[in-house]
Amino acid sequence: QEVTLRLHQFLPAQANVPKNVLDPWADKIEAESGGRIKIERYPAMQLGGKPPELIDQMVDGVVDIVWTVAGYTPGRFPRAEVFELPFTMTDAETMSRAYWKLAEETMMDEDFARFKPLALWVHGPGVIHSSKPIVALSDLNGVKLRAPTRVTNKLFSNLGATPIGMPVPAIPEALSKGVVDATVIPWEVVGALKVNELVKNHTEFPGKALYTTSFIFGMNKDKYDSLPDDLKAIIDANSGEEFSAFAGKQMQADDAGPRAAAVEMGNNIITLTDEQAAEWEAAAQGTIDEWYAEMDAKGIDGKALQARAEALMAN
Amino acid sequence: MLLTLVERLARFMAILGGLVLTALIGLTCVSVLGRGLNTFGHSEFMTSLSESAANALIATGVGPVSGDFELVEAGISFTIFAFLPICQLKRGHATVDVFAGSFPRWMNRWLEVVWEVLLSLLIFLITWRLFVGMEDKMRYNETTFLLQFPIWWAFALSFAAAAVASVVALYCAVAKVLELITGRRFTPDAEGGVH
Amino acid sequence: MSLLELGYLSFPVLLLLVFLRAPIGLAMMICGLGGLYLATGSSNIILAKLKSETYSTFSSYSLTIIPMFLLMGQFATHSGMSSSLFKAAESWLGHRKGGVAMAAVGACAGFGAICGSSLATAATMSRVALPELRRYGYSGGFSTATLAAGGTLGILIPPSVILVIYAILTEQNIAKLFLAAFIPGILAAIGYMITISIYVRLNPGSAGTREPVPYAERMRALMDVWPVLLVFGLVVGGIYLGWFTPTEGAAVGAAGTGIIALISGNLTWKVFVDSMIQTAMSTAMIFFIVLGAGFYNSFLALSQLPQELSGWVVGQGFSPLVVLTLILLFYLVFGCLMDSLSMILLTIPIFFPVISVLDFGMSPEHVAIWFGILVLIVVEVGLITPPVGMNLFIINAMDRSTPMKETYKAVLWFVTSDIVRVILLVLFPSITLFLLAG
Ligand code: NA
Ligand code: NA
Repeated sequence: QEVTLRLHQFLPAQANVPKNVLDPWADKIEAESGGRIKIERYPAMQLGGKPPELIDQMVDGVVDIVWTVAGYTPGRFPRAEVFELPFTMTDAETMSRAYWKLAEETMMDEDFARFKPLALWVHGPGVIHSSKPIVALSDLNGVKLRAPTRVTNKLFSNLGATPIGMPVPAIPEALSKGVVDATVIPWEVVGALKVNELVKNHTEFPGKALYTTSFIFGMNKDKYDSLPDDLKAIIDANSGEEFSAFAGKQMQADDAGPRAAAVEMGNNIITLTDEQAAEWEAAAQGTIDEWYAEMDAKGIDGKALQARAEALMAN
Repeated sequence: MLLTLVERLARFMAILGGLVLTALIGLTCVSVLGRGLNTFGHSEFMTSLSESAANALIATGVGPVSGDFELVEAGISFTIFAFLPICQLKRGHATVDVFAGSFPRWMNRWLEVVWEVLLSLLIFLITWRLFVGMEDKMRYNETTFLLQFPIWWAFALSFAAAAVASVVALYCAVAKVLELITGRRFTPDAEGGVH
Repeated sequence: MSLLELGYLSFPVLLLLVFLRAPIGLAMMICGLGGLYLATGSSNIILAKLKSETYSTFSSYSLTIIPMFLLMGQFATHSGMSSSLFKAAESWLGHRKGGVAMAAVGACAGFGAICGSSLATAATMSRVALPELRRYGYSGGFSTATLAAGGTLGILIPPSVILVIYAILTEQNIAKLFLAAFIPGILAAIGYMITISIYVRLNPGSAGTREPVPYAERMRALMDVWPVLLVFGLVVGGIYLGWFTPTEGAAVGAAGTGIIALISGNLTWKVFVDSMIQTAMSTAMIFFIVLGAGFYNSFLALSQLPQELSGWVVGQGFSPLVVLTLILLFYLVFGCLMDSLSMILLTIPIFFPVISVLDFGMSPEHVAIWFGILVLIVVEVGLITPPVGMNLFIINAMDRSTPMKETYKAVLWFVTSDIVRVILLVLFPSITLFLLAG
């Protein structure tokens, strides 16, 4: 082959995203290039460093391609955070499409100026998994929980819970020992962590989801520029809006298995009524207002950005 | 004379790092205690015993120290860099000396110089890269997760300690070379670390 | 040259540098960064790795446990706990044949329960027990060998710095590893005591006798060791019960021993500074090796060597027990030359993938824990095998009147007891996994 690309990411090879999103992508590129491109896959941070370093490893050319979470480096991708605001998402495919479009409009020369985004997506609806049922806002009082993003940390702390910081792999141990009472993750992650065996209550929100997480799948710019045009074309054809939408859709589809497993175990799946959810949504406004103020301080019009994101998702 | 000065500098950094380590230990203990009391206040045992006492305990706002994790990470990095100079000066780095006895004397003396110089070069390189890393973090406005203080502050602290380590490393390298040339001693005896 | 060949070549180069007395961390960095440079043909990767990974390694929350446990050991050393432990053990065992030596082993086991390091345990207990052993007519080599072996209980009985490093390298649960280390650690102490009683029967001239102590006095001496029980119970119990994370547990332990040392009046400013300097030296040394191992392991991953090697072992269809035995023998041989921590950091990324693809009839987690305890024991044996045994060096430096040769001769008895224990643990994994079953 002519070109070897190293793909580095933080999950084990058999996890949903590597297996159902990244591998199919890499296999397709390899096949379409007639074997001229080989994509070496390094799961689970095999090439060293911690997950927050992935983005710099790609920018600096330690590796060529990474898949990472935008929020691992708080403050670095402020615009991408608009999709993580509470009660913004209804469907991961739609939002992933909007994320890519909004990035093309506002982020390519800003947040993502130092590398070439290949795809941008979000996961399915975030769900609260707790040892005691959480229905009303008052149920959060004093609950120690692990919140997944910067914004949800603020949200839960504003709502009276005690957020406790820890890496994802530490969640099962912390839940089983009562170091935390609840965790907030999409169903897709529940399977790998066996959260449904550790807690019996799962709170889902109708319509708009409690939260989601913005992902980045990107490539080193120089490496991309060094490719011959026909190989560039193969990468381009498999990246961008369509692949982003596919990845978002796939992640949400991966929610189904673990959710069914929880149902089968007889766990208590709580779906809030519209009135109950409205109460949560109203309470979250304070956190969103704080976010506007933070963006103002960075010279970003947060309100306009959010409005544009909503508009892109609406059509 | 210069050795005394360098030795004092290295000791000072070790003690400074030790005090930061002590502070982090204290912070962690306070956080553990706070989290424990918070859990206790919310526990069924406590609420069944006395609802008002439980509420009073919670109302004091007792809980884990917010962002303890981040403070420990920022502080411990400074500590480790501050611990480097004394280890370098007293040659505390682990080596395998089992064959040293069978090497000729001149070879052992040369080897010592070569490794000392390479080690010092590496410490300069690390210090420089730490500075570049700090500039990156400044440029990207990266902050921590909970407390949201700029990450470059933590880099700057580590860089300051690494800079001192570089000064000590420079002394060690030059001293070793001079020892080889003049045959006089400019460095203290080796003193292995314990683990 | 292919990347894989480069990977294989890096190993002899690394050994050459190490045997030419390069600091081990530096040698790993040279091989790791040099290998990455040759693999990618650009210095970008080196500069980028140094930029981000030095900071991320030094600021690692889980590695914070190391300076904290080391400081805990330092405070324990200065808190007077070592002498009360020895006094208690001696009052119960001292009158038996070889009893004072047995008491030294017992006290080492107790001290190991609050100290994460083997050398600190050996050094501290020697200060207390060596003069007593000599006073009761124990021969020089037998005394030093007993304490060198007893010192290894510092890492065998949890908490243990080496076990923390293993847990981080293999992504295993530290609390479970600590729990699994407990029974093998107690077995080690019992094995050493049996060794002592055999030794004194075969060499009657090597040990004197002393009068039994009245029971009232024995009980009083036992009461004096409560701080040790308190700190051990709090740290290991707290980590196991999930009251706190291992890092938090180390902080609680360091604070606890610090406070006890302060109350006992032993923690003056000078002692505090000495503790800090010792902690600083060891911490810097360990982190430097950890950093070097990180770079070297990135290079190995890139060369695909670990995957190829484990694939090859599976392809050959070797019996899992044979592979395990070969690996353990490798550690025993290398332990004669090399320091335990460096060995673990260097070899676990290569051996662990090999072990984890073999079928031992246990869950992967149990295999990882069982293997971790076995490795812990064989690298610990390295601390007392001649010629390079760090514990032997430390104790010999404290007792100049005993020639090294005498120590070497006597310590082989304890090495034998270690080997018997390793064979038992290999044949009966349930001994190690027993406490995890519940
Ligand atoms: Na120990
Ligand atoms: Na040895």
